[in-house]
Amino acid sequence: MNLSIKNLITFRRTPLNLLVAVTGALLLAAFVAGAVVYFLHGHHAFNVTRQHPWGLLIAMYVFFVVSSTGLCIISSIGHVFGVKEFQQIGKRAIAGAIVTIISGFAVIALEIGHPITMLIYNVLTPGLTSAIWWMGTLYGIYLCFIMLEFFFLTIKINHKWSKIFGIGGLLSGLAAHSNLGAVFGFLISRPTANGVFYPVYFILSAMITGCYLIYIIYGFKYRNNYPEPLRVMFVKLNKILGMLLGILIFFEAWKILTALYGTMPERAETIMYAVTSPNFIIGELLLGMLIPFFIILFSNGQAVKPMVYASLTGMIGIFFMRYDLVHDTLVYPMTMLKRSEYQLPPTLLHYFPSPTEMAIGFGGIGITILGLYIMEKVFNLDPDSED
Amino acid sequence: MARYGMALDYKSCINCRACETACKAENGVLPGRDNYRIWVGQKEIEGEYPKLSISSLTYQPSQCQHCDNAPCQQVCPTNATYYDENRVVRVDPEKCILCTYCINACPYDARYVDDRTVTVDKCNFCSDTRLANGETTTACQATCPTKVRTFGDLDDPNSDISQLLEKREYRQIKEHLGTKPKLFYLL
Repeated sequence: MNLSIKNLITFRRTPLNLLVAVTGALLLAAFVAGAVVYFLHGHHAFNVTRQHPWGLLIAMYVFFVVSSTGLCIISSIGHVFGVKEFQQIGKRAIAGAIVTIISGFAVIALEIGHPITMLIYNVLTPGLTSAIWWMGTLYGIYLCFIMLEFFFLTIKINHKWSKIFGIGGLLSGLAAHSNLGAVFGFLISRPTANGVFYPVYFILSAMITGCYLIYIIYGFKYRNNYPEPLRVMFVKLNKILGMLLGILIFFEAWKILTALYGTMPERAETIMYAVTSPNFIIGELLLGMLIPFFIILFSNGQAVKPMVYASLTGMIGIFFMRYDLVHDTLVYPMTMLKRSEYQLPPTLLHYFPSPTEMAIGFGGIGITILGLYIMEKVFNLDPDSED
Repeated sequence: MARYGMALDYKSCINCRACETACKAENGVLPGRDNYRIWVGQKEIEGEYPKLSISSLTYQPSQCQHCDNAPCQQVCPTNATYYDENRVVRVDPEKCILCTYCINACPYDARYVDDRTVTVDKCNFCSDTRLANGETTTACQATCPTKVRTFGDLDDPNSDISQLLEKREYRQIKEHLGTKPKLFYLL
């Protein structure tokens, strides 16, 4: 551990480092500015409405916690399941998991109207039938577990305890994350979201997100020029990622086909809107799934360097998956009757995030960049000699 | 202890919206595009000009359905949404964290954010205004000039609403979702 201020503020001034530093600082400033506007104007600063009550901030919260769960799952391949090649990334992945979930909590704290009331009444009058209650509580437990795991990995090195808390973190993370899927899956009012798909899909996409983030974090650290043990690990990660992407594409295809088949009212119309939107075709499908999948497929899993760039497009795709998850769930109005003579009949809802929502949501990435930087500077995240 | 519901003879509705105004006045609902506890929905007229079907133009007064199996109550993480002793679905602003999950979960678009308390608000059958003062009608019912609404105890066989539902056929909205709504549209 190195907590000196001098250590924190000194870094190699390469163009890439400076670019990331400036981007991170701008995003952090955006987050603070967005928070100020939110404190002044509340939800009126957002473009959410009665008909479309969730927007970008929920999408970004999901984005961050998906990232955290994904990093935790990928780190557990080494530390919990004992796959030797993956043990070298354990500490950095758990550090990333802690930082991303804290970023997610920071974003959601500015979306939930009364976060302090939440802390009080979550305990005093828990809504045990609520997926949000389970998700929030389990994520709280998850954060405790992974922080303890990190403590025993880096500060007071003890592999027995780090494994125990690693198992706890993995299980609570899986439970929390599938409950987050259930937040959408339990909505009986929304036929496109209702069902088993989202709880399973969330875990699957978390693992994919974890792979992408490992690529980005290590690609940045090693400037895409890896020592042999890491290269070997990445070839194996490619095979895992390729398989996961294949399963995801298969899942998505059948989700779409079953939703369209029979043109069930509301469901088919919503899915047709979703799959014909550029967000899905370019964002989710091309950037999020096909580019990384085909690079892995055509290189037979050997392409390591191109996968860093594919992971960047992949994370953009993951963002669109989260955004569309929220928007597509809410896009169909709950009442199709018009409320005024001088009004057109209701159609699918329009939503585009306000500048404040964008500042807070994307500003959360600034928190992640700052957190990862501090983690990297303060702790030794490289493998111990015995790893 | 009662089980309050409401029957709506919706074909008598003339779309005067006195009910909307009375509700806002009685319950202090603030002005604003999204701020309403009750509303009158209007079906698009069918046919093409000049062959328009006048009979297809109907109005459907609506509000919270006070479901016996309310999705909004199930999803609330702090039990801020609850059934009171009269099975009216209500919100305790003290406990509401404004996660707006209930607004997403409601199949009837019956909830909105009240800027006075900055919590979720909805129709509560005037429980904390008229009913609390000993009245037996809601503001929307009392003001309706064509007597569209009949409010009362569904468990009391002698109540007006029970008698009406015994005599008349009715439909409920989105009952296939299993919500057991307590608003009955008389046919």
